Amino acid sequence: MIEVRDLVKVFDTRGQVVRAVDNVTTQVARGEVLVVIGPSGSGKSTFLRCLNGLEVFDSGSVSIDGLQLADPKTDVNAYRREVGMVFQHFNLFPHMTVLENLCLAQKVVRKRGKKEREAKALALLEKVGIAQKAHEFPSRLSGGQQQRVAIARALAMEPKVMLFDEPTSALDPEMVGEVLDVMKTLALEGMTMVCVTHEMGFAREVADRVLFFDHGKLLEDAAPAAFFDAPQDPRAQAFLRQVL
Amino acid sequence: MKQKKAQWPWHILTVLVLIGLAGALYYATSLMSYEWRWNRVPQYFVYQAEEPQRAAEFSTVSQLVRKGDTFEVSLRNDGGNEQVLTVDAASLQVAKGDDVSEGDAVGMTHHWAAGPLLWGLWTTLWLSLVSGVLGLLIGLATGLCRLSSNPTLRDLSTIYVELVRGTPLLVQIFIFYFFIGTVLNLSREFAGIAALSLFTGAYVAEIIRSGVQSIARGQNEAARSLGLSGSQSMRHVVLPQALKRVLPPLAGQFISLVKDTSLVSVIAITELLKSGREVITTSFSPFEILFCVAGLYLLINLPLSKIASRLERRLAQSD
Repeated sequence: MIEVRDLVKVFDTRGQVVRAVDNVTTQVARGEVLVVIGPSGSGKSTFLRCLNGLEVFDSGSVSIDGLQLADPKTDVNAYRREVGMVFQHFNLFPHMTVLENLCLAQKVVRKRGKKEREAKALALLEKVGIAQKAHEFPSRLSGGQQQRVAIARALAMEPKVMLFDEPTSALDPEMVGEVLDVMKTLALEGMTMVCVTHEMGFAREVADRVLFFDHGKLLEDAAPAAFFDAPQDPRAQAFLRQVL
Repeated sequence: MKQKKAQWPWHILTVLVLIGLAGALYYATSLMSYEWRWNRVPQYFVYQAEEPQRAAEFSTVSQLVRKGDTFEVSLRNDGGNEQVLTVDAASLQVAKGDDVSEGDAVGMTHHWAAGPLLWGLWTTLWLSLVSGVLGLLIGLATGLCRLSSNPTLRDLSTIYVELVRGTPLLVQIFIFYFFIGTVLNLSREFAGIAALSLFTGAYVAEIIRSGVQSIARGQNEAARSLGLSGSQSMRHVVLPQALKRVLPPLAGQFISLVKDTSLVSVIAITELLKSGREVITTSFSPFEILFCVAGLYLLINLPLSKIASRLERRLAQSD
């Protein structure tokens, strides 16, 4: 479903060239859950952001169901409709209520009527367990609740793929569980997901495959059991020794 | 433990300092033997205007009816046409049976009229309002151009902002009136408003630009990731937050604008300052009038800054 071929992203800050994503090739099948792990600065977030074009890559290709992201003929906005994204810092729109957060893109992009989009929004808020907060502003919600709203906001567009960029890293520890539960439910329902996360338990339990990144390179691509119990790459071994 | 100190003695000291300053000012003017004539001032705000009531054609006063302080004067001409005029009793100049010619005044009426200072205040108000609205629109467009990905738009808007911010408003007003105004045959009001709104627009552009840039990049990214286009994201997500954030500096800019309208007096627009200076030439009370003019500017601007600080507080709560 997602095809990534020879993806390269270079950051050039005042002559200092960093290959943040270095020749990565991989693919994601429909319904598959990928967890991307690696030390900080390994390029895993940049890789994820390349998948929906928030980061413009330098060479290679990314496509979803054959729709090429880098093709000038492709409407990037139409492409992004199919790819939901959840951010580390939630990025809810603070000037809108929870309900309005969920309805904005449905209205502006999908052109759904008021009844339809609100029904959709409320159903999704019900699903992530915060329907009673529909008319609150995001600032009145806890971090865990905000992140669940952000997930619902992405789902309201009925994307084919969901990208998660360290969704629990900015949360207080007691709120990590509620967000991971929502993600597990999604995975069980067959959503195609790519998650950058430090939650090894989640990776082991939910992931179909684990990708290990370091210095922009995809060093290991394995089933979670194989990866966690017998990592092949020495850097993956060192990383796991530190985090487990 | 921290003790809470009483504030009121300090406020009393403030009042004493102010009284002292006022006393010093009074003493200074008494040294130059200036005679304060505040009683001359009110007539320049409002005064009783006299309006003569005139006969429309050659006719005879056929009837005089007293109604309180006024007379109803009936005039009848040879053809039998009747004209009825109402005039103040004290100003009646005809008696029953008198003949009057066309245009003769049979008496006066009095009514309250706005004096030059009020007219000046009104002119200042509408100049500020029109230039403010235009400046806001120009500034919004320019601010967005400054952030555009199109190099030409970016360059042009930068040149405009730097040109306007780098030259005195007074010079700009002269250029608009004497050069552009002459070439394009603009009225002085048009030239004045154009100069003021372009001047304000440049500053508003910088306020808008900094406001938009102060909105975290994640907001735009979240909107784009949902499939919104760049302009949709700007319109629905970034700008509403940015405008909210820049309301206080925008209000400050508007207050500056109200004061800057005094500069268009140099191209003979009779706004508040020009009216004041005209009044000074007839009243010979320059200090009183100037204080009044300053007071009228304060009268506009103090409520504005009050509104601005209230807005600031209210907006801070909703974040």
